[in-house]
Amino acid sequence: MIFLRRQVPLLITLITGIVFAAQYYVPHPASEQMLTSVTKWLQIIGGFALVLGVSSLFHVHAIKIRRKEAGWGYSFVLYVSMLGTIAVGLWSNGKEAVDGTMTAFGWIYNFMMVPLQGTMFAILAFFIASAAYRSFRARSREAAVLLIAAVIVMMGRVPLGEYLLPISGDLSQWILNVLNASVRRAILIGVSLGTVALSIKIIFSMERSYLGGGKE
Amino acid sequence: MTFAERMLKIDRRIIFLVIGFCTLLPLLYPVGLPIKISPEVRGVYDYIESLPEGSVFLLSLDFDPASKPELHPQAISLLRHAFRKNLRVIAMTLWVSGTGMADQVVTQVAREMGKESGKDYVFLGWSPGGTAVIINMGQDLYGAFPADYNGKPTKGLPVLQGIANLRDVSYAVSLGAGNPGVEAWYVFGKDKYKFELAGGCTGVMAPGLYPLLRSGQINGLIGGLRGAAEYEILIGQKGKAVAGMDAQSATHLAIIVLVIICNVFYLSLRKTTRQQAHSGT
Amino acid sequence: MRGKGLGVKGKGSAVVQGPVVSGVAGSFARFFFLAACVTGLSHSVVFAQTPLALPQDVRAFDTPSDGGGSLTVLWSPAPYDSAAARYQVLLSEGTTVPDPAAMKVVAEFPANQHYVRESKWPWWTRPTTGDQHQFTLRSGRGVELKDGTTYSITVAAVQNDDRKIATPVQATPQPNWMNWNQVNNLLLALLFGGIVFYAISTARKREIFLRRIPGLDAVDEAIGRATELGKPILYLTGAHDMSDPSTIAAAVILGRVAKRTAAYETDLLVPHRDPITMAVCQEITKQAYLEAGKPDLYKDDSNFFITSDQFSYTAAVDGIMLRKKPAANFFMGAYFAEALLLTETGASTGAIQIAGTDSDHQLPFFVTTCDYTLIGEELYAASAYLSREPVQVGTLRGQDIGKALILGVLGIGTLLATLGVMLDAQWPQLFLDLFKDVK
Repeated sequence: MIFLRRQVPLLITLITGIVFAAQYYVPHPASEQMLTSVTKWLQIIGGFALVLGVSSLFHVHAIKIRRKEAGWGYSFVLYVSMLGTIAVGLWSNGKEAVDGTMTAFGWIYNFMMVPLQGTMFAILAFFIASAAYRSFRARSREAAVLLIAAVIVMMGRVPLGEYLLPISGDLSQWILNVLNASVRRAILIGVSLGTVALSIKIIFSMERSYLGGGKE
Repeated sequence: MTFAERMLKIDRRIIFLVIGFCTLLPLLYPVGLPIKISPEVRGVYDYIESLPEGSVFLLSLDFDPASKPELHPQAISLLRHAFRKNLRVIAMTLWVSGTGMADQVVTQVAREMGKESGKDYVFLGWSPGGTAVIINMGQDLYGAFPADYNGKPTKGLPVLQGIANLRDVSYAVSLGAGNPGVEAWYVFGKDKYKFELAGGCTGVMAPGLYPLLRSGQINGLIGGLRGAAEYEILIGQKGKAVAGMDAQSATHLAIIVLVIICNVFYLSLRKTTRQQAHSGT
Repeated sequence: MRGKGLGVKGKGSAVVQGPVVSGVAGSFARFFFLAACVTGLSHSVVFAQTPLALPQDVRAFDTPSDGGGSLTVLWSPAPYDSAAARYQVLLSEGTTVPDPAAMKVVAEFPANQHYVRESKWPWWTRPTTGDQHQFTLRSGRGVELKDGTTYSITVAAVQNDDRKIATPVQATPQPNWMNWNQVNNLLLALLFGGIVFYAISTARKREIFLRRIPGLDAVDEAIGRATELGKPILYLTGAHDMSDPSTIAAAVILGRVAKRTAAYETDLLVPHRDPITMAVCQEITKQAYLEAGKPDLYKDDSNFFITSDQFSYTAAVDGIMLRKKPAANFFMGAYFAEALLLTETGASTGAIQIAGTDSDHQLPFFVTTCDYTLIGEELYAASAYLSREPVQVGTLRGQDIGKALILGVLGIGTLLATLGVMLDAQWPQLFLDLFKDVK
């Protein structure tokens, strides 16, 4: 059992890791075909992951309702909403509109999901303002530099700012294209090296936490 | 508690109210200040302008309803421009929750421009797998999407005539709100299959895509609502993005004023504290 | 010359009014005009006298390092190479060509274009010197080259009505098993891998210094504070699944945090967005409680799945923060727009917040709202810093060596590229091509 749970996944990881790292350097159509087949399998597994996500949700909230834990009423609402949306979606064949006419599924999408998601994202604008008020303080020289750069970019990215301070547009462009791009590159290089190193450790079984638990 | 301390600990809800007013009032009473066009947005516009009629334009609407305010106007402007240039438009999405919205925007703009589905454009819909979809499209478009969003087989559609895979695409633009998005289209798409690529994204993500822009990995970048407004100006059809710029201007200015006020109080409080510490009280 | 007072009167470009300055200027103008006439005449004499000749040394072969469906043709430069003349590339299927003039024209361009030096080949795969003409024919857009099929290909020089076609040569497109243009990429990847392995073996033999990362030192402080206040700890593993390095790093750090919370007997709450990540983190937490010697304190539902939807998850976690008021919040992994919604809500409850992410677009929000932030690969380094395991520490060291190498290459490369431009030399390319990404 240990062999199946531990050794087989590690062996699969090793072989596929090396094969697909090498695949990058092989332009032959056979190599491309292999990549296409594997990505098709990835799509199939991705479909299963959706099912896994939904069934986990069902399972977790079913337990909450059965045990009548705190907040089980919300779990009940979730259950009803989920089942209702699935039923309506299946009835509408997954389409939001048919020949220009909105289906029931489309109604749920347009009048519930879109506004709810939009609302959550819109909260960010308010939170940014309160976070900026709380933290954009010139506590040190570095903080002061951050503050000035933030003000310049905020001015330069809107027409009113460019109208009040014409140079802010060009300055913010320079900050974005020169300072920001170079710093992002530095972070990207560091993160990419970290990703490559972690991938090497996973391929050669030096990192096994993704299987669950520590080393054996 | 001194006045400065009270102001520094002000209830967040007052700040929320200020931001709310600054967003609402300009939408009700627009001003319409001029908008300067940036080189990164012009890059996208100029490239589409240079494409001959009948070129294949791929638009991937990789965002969900949460990012609709910023990316929806970008999609509308790009589609209007592409249809005006009589390009063959292939639209799709890598985000399942954005499929309905993507279908709506493509259908709406196509109807407005008098374009026919299957003949002038096709909406492929969504397929699971994220980056795997891009790789599959790069090998065989019809394998990745055997049917379009309306169930019509993609093989045989007039708009897809002569197109086998992503190598046959003249220009691709990914409007991305996260992952998969612009970076995924570059790594798994342009890097392998050699088509020209541009990006559109939310304002928050735009600074992170400048390295790709500066190195030429993408030839243009439409960043946030400002980018969408610039594109609307370029195509000569102002819409929600230009209308939203007044609100964005007011909000930015409000945040700047709040930050300045906060720093004035903070510095005065720090000065008072230091003076007290020096005097030993 | 002054703007006002200039005028053309009489013959030539004579400036008739004004003093000596105008006279000298006029002499210069006459000189330059005559020089231009002579140059123009000599050009036309040169072109008129250079007859069109057959393109020389035409050779064709299968384009190397590709997936097939492509042929490359090379030929020598000619005296008549200019914008006035044109080259045509002609193609036909088969080995015999009864009439080269009837071959299909698959490309046509001015004769002063398409040189080997303009192509993207690095120096170790370049087929010939840079001054040779080169054209690569690929399948697609009206041309179909089938692998294994022999084609006849040639080049014609065209000027006005004159056309000279070289003798056709044969070539067969074939797919290749190795992209030699990217051998530098492969060698650098192997070098980096070797450095990581070497660093790990060094870490097994001796202690390696790691600089203090303030965010990680605060982990103990945060857990201690939560224990004192009798409040739980909230730990988030990010938006991505277990295939993402940042989620793996978050899961590894969870193991260390769980060990501390087990030791201090503090409640741990770990809401998840991905069921597989949840399953993995459950195992990790269980293992951590076992290693801390407190298996009876382990609760299965300390790791729980909420939903994979971004904002639904955010709303749920915000609710947990406002109701349970954890004393410490950990945000480790990849985050998107929900970052600020989570951290700002956490800050409003007065919790100490420690973040670690490689999502650089969310870094500004974490930095402004959290007490400590692990930036970029500090998240990956955190795992090594907390555990001090040789593998983790050695990897960190290997990464640092890699970064030092990149810095060195950047410095030397910039210097050489500048020298190359200043001296109009090609030799810096020998070094620069080693780090070029060629497909």
